[in-house]
Amino acid sequence: MQKVDRRVLYGILVVCVCVGLFFPSTIRTDPDPSSKSFYAAVKSLPQGSTIIVQTDWTNSTRGESLGHFENLMRLLMDGEHKFIFYSAADPAAPQVARTVIARIVAERKEQGLKEYKIGEDYVDLGFFPNAEATNTSMGANLKAAWAGRKSKTPDGKEIDIFKTPVLAKVNKIEDCQMMVVITASQSIDIAVQRLAQKIDITALVTGVVGPTVLPFYQSQQIKGVAVGLKGVYDIEYLMEYGINDAEIEGRKYVTWDGPKVDKVEQGTRFSRGRQYYGTLHVALALLILAVVMGNVAMFAARRRKGEQV
Amino acid sequence: MNLFPSMMAQVVEESFFKKVPGPGLYGLLALGLILGIVLCLALSRVPSNMRRWVIVGFTFLAGLPYVAAYLWPTPVAADFQTEIPRNGVEKVGFFLNQAMDPVGTITNIIQGFLLGVGFYSLVRIHYTKVKRRQENWGFSIVLLTCFVLMAVIGLWDWQMRTFVDTTGALNVRDNWTAVNYIQDFLFEGIYQQMDSAMFSMIAFFILSAAYRAFRIRSVEATVMMASALILMLNLMGALTFAQGNAIESLAANSNNMFLMNFKINTFADWLRSTMQIPAIRAIDFGVGLGALAMGLRLWLGLEKGGVT
Amino acid sequence: MNLNYDVIKITAGVIATIGLYSILYKENRFYRLFEHIFLGLAAGYTIVATWKDTLYPQWWQKMMGQAATADAPAVPGYWIYAALLPIGLLAYLVFNKKHNWMSKIPIGVILGLWSGQQIQVWWNTWGPQIFSSMQPIIPTTFSPLNVPSTMEAVGGKVLPIADPDRAAAVQQQITNNLFVTQALTNFIFVITFISAFSYFIFSFELKGKLMTGVNKFGRWMLMIGFGAIFGSTVMARFALVIDRMAYIVIEWVQALTRGA
Repeated sequence: MQKVDRRVLYGILVVCVCVGLFFPSTIRTDPDPSSKSFYAAVKSLPQGSTIIVQTDWTNSTRGESLGHFENLMRLLMDGEHKFIFYSAADPAAPQVARTVIARIVAERKEQGLKEYKIGEDYVDLGFFPNAEATNTSMGANLKAAWAGRKSKTPDGKEIDIFKTPVLAKVNKIEDCQMMVVITASQSIDIAVQRLAQKIDITALVTGVVGPTVLPFYQSQQIKGVAVGLKGVYDIEYLMEYGINDAEIEGRKYVTWDGPKVDKVEQGTRFSRGRQYYGTLHVALALLILAVVMGNVAMFAARRRKGEQV
Repeated sequence: MNLFPSMMAQVVEESFFKKVPGPGLYGLLALGLILGIVLCLALSRVPSNMRRWVIVGFTFLAGLPYVAAYLWPTPVAADFQTEIPRNGVEKVGFFLNQAMDPVGTITNIIQGFLLGVGFYSLVRIHYTKVKRRQENWGFSIVLLTCFVLMAVIGLWDWQMRTFVDTTGALNVRDNWTAVNYIQDFLFEGIYQQMDSAMFSMIAFFILSAAYRAFRIRSVEATVMMASALILMLNLMGALTFAQGNAIESLAANSNNMFLMNFKINTFADWLRSTMQIPAIRAIDFGVGLGALAMGLRLWLGLEKGGVT
Repeated sequence: MNLNYDVIKITAGVIATIGLYSILYKENRFYRLFEHIFLGLAAGYTIVATWKDTLYPQWWQKMMGQAATADAPAVPGYWIYAALLPIGLLAYLVFNKKHNWMSKIPIGVILGLWSGQQIQVWWNTWGPQIFSSMQPIIPTTFSPLNVPSTMEAVGGKVLPIADPDRAAAVQQQITNNLFVTQALTNFIFVITFISAFSYFIFSFELKGKLMTGVNKFGRWMLMIGFGAIFGSTVMARFALVIDRMAYIVIEWVQALTRGA
């Protein structure tokens, strides 16, 4: 049994995943406490707040980060918040973000919701190549750190970003209400180290990065974090049901010890997380089965050889 | 109306270091370039026993603004944009704060130039392979072709969007030209998808390794597997929800609320916040101390075999 | 036209994905081809991004300034930035036998900037974390031993305590006390952190049963951390496979059917 060809295992994984994708379903769950904190932090922002979005992911982690970014865009647009986005980790990241934003804007326009416009509701700062220097400069002097950057306006012109409605009242980083880092790398550490004392930071991270970010959450250096694909589904679930909000059979879908946090009333809530989450169950079950079978085979082989187990 | 731009230009603040575009600026740009070249030529004449100190000096000076800005006393809630320093100490603090951005910009620019070394290396290796008809030289031609194609088309696309398209028309696909289509095809269509595929392949290797190598042979392996297993079970919402419901029924029927602690997600949350987080913190703390020590040694030029 | 382009684009992406996946079957030239295409495109795009997002806005534009337009006044240029070009180009001397030591100057500048930030970084990272690791381990009450539940059994269901006065009283009891189970949890937290960290102390030899015992316990605790990292990484990698498969069996098939 220990000699199963690895290609057979790969084949089983591919088949299981493909089959799982055809049966997306809303799975009842209890979101992680850190995901609830993230959702509550974003939902408690006053309408029209200014948010800094550091988007440090590309398609290499599309399976997790795309869902996170889509959720964040829907949440920010639902709260009519203004936002600035840039990347400090990957030159390709801003282009990936632009594509997603364009799609979400079109989706919401189709749904009859407010159409976000560049230079008016959000600003695109592009790429900054050195996260350490960029975050340090932002903390020391935001206007200088972003000086000279231009933004397109809805009528196609270019203006200084600080003359846009998004940043017109922003002089220093403390004038923004929150910074959200969507990342597949240690760029969240760099942001926390340099900016956590000046602005509330929240994060949407991949499963690989998640374990190293949770200590920051425990020490309240970040106010909330959704980790990996489970985090994507958690946020979608919270958008659909809120916390201490929607009820089923006389019980709340999602509870916590804190106050009520409203669900999102309009626009898309369940999306990519719902599509993938069921399949994740199948894949994880397969892995657990592989570990168990591998060990069973080992013990069986030892017993056959007469070794003491 | 025509006077407007020139009137606007008059109010722009100029100084010795910054000039509005014009012959004056271009002359000074040439001077800046010459100054840089002269500095480099002067450095090339440095005797070999002094070279270490030149590199140590550059390293120290580069790090100094950050250390000074952090340690120099400044008012706790100073607004460096709108407030005026009250005394000499605050003036230095404000100056150091203003220095943060140019220092950061210089890093970014130098790092931008440094990337070119990597490209030069890559091209040199594959060009040599093709020239000498080494094994698999055909693949090197493919690599070099893709490299040049992506760079040329990418820059062409950028040039069109920045300088030609002043109205943002190219944001709509109907207005695209062949260049924009090729750029989109190469970047979105192929590069991004391959990037994703590359990263995802590790999952297959993890599955294979889990079957072949993840064995309970020691206390350490058992503890690690138990920790991973609980975390993975907690990721399966359908499972935790069903198990949680069963526990709730049990608790309700026996009227013993203590049983609620045996829900997988409650236990997994406890394990995470009580044992997994401090263990990971300890690992990071060890790394953090090492980074601090290494940082200080590099900055002060004590690290032999480092940059020197 | 657009629909056809979409089909071609997504089909090319699928072929490229399958090309890379073919290595899972065995080493082959199809994989090698796509691997080299990937490396070429990645390097090419990095050149584009470095210029358009870094050197152009942060160096070229700041250096050259901007002439006045009808809408905006002139922006002065900082001419001294021109001096950075030769300094940056020093890095290319790494290929020169005589002057290759000079290539370490720009690298030294980058390392200096990194290392200069470490003092601030260390304290900002670890100050709050050390503080939050110091948790109380002596209980303030022994009755009851564990935290009272804010839930109650009603008609075969577990629901939050309905009576507001009783709920408030329980909440106050929880807020005002440190129960034995909480103290024990905190103790486990502290001992996990200290023992796992002690595993990294290599400066002196660990002697005696207590020290070696703590060290061994620390190793087990580290395994708990590594287990968490492994479990989370598995989720991440599987998510990527799921996404790739969704790209092929859902997005591609949809594009094909729409395109047709």
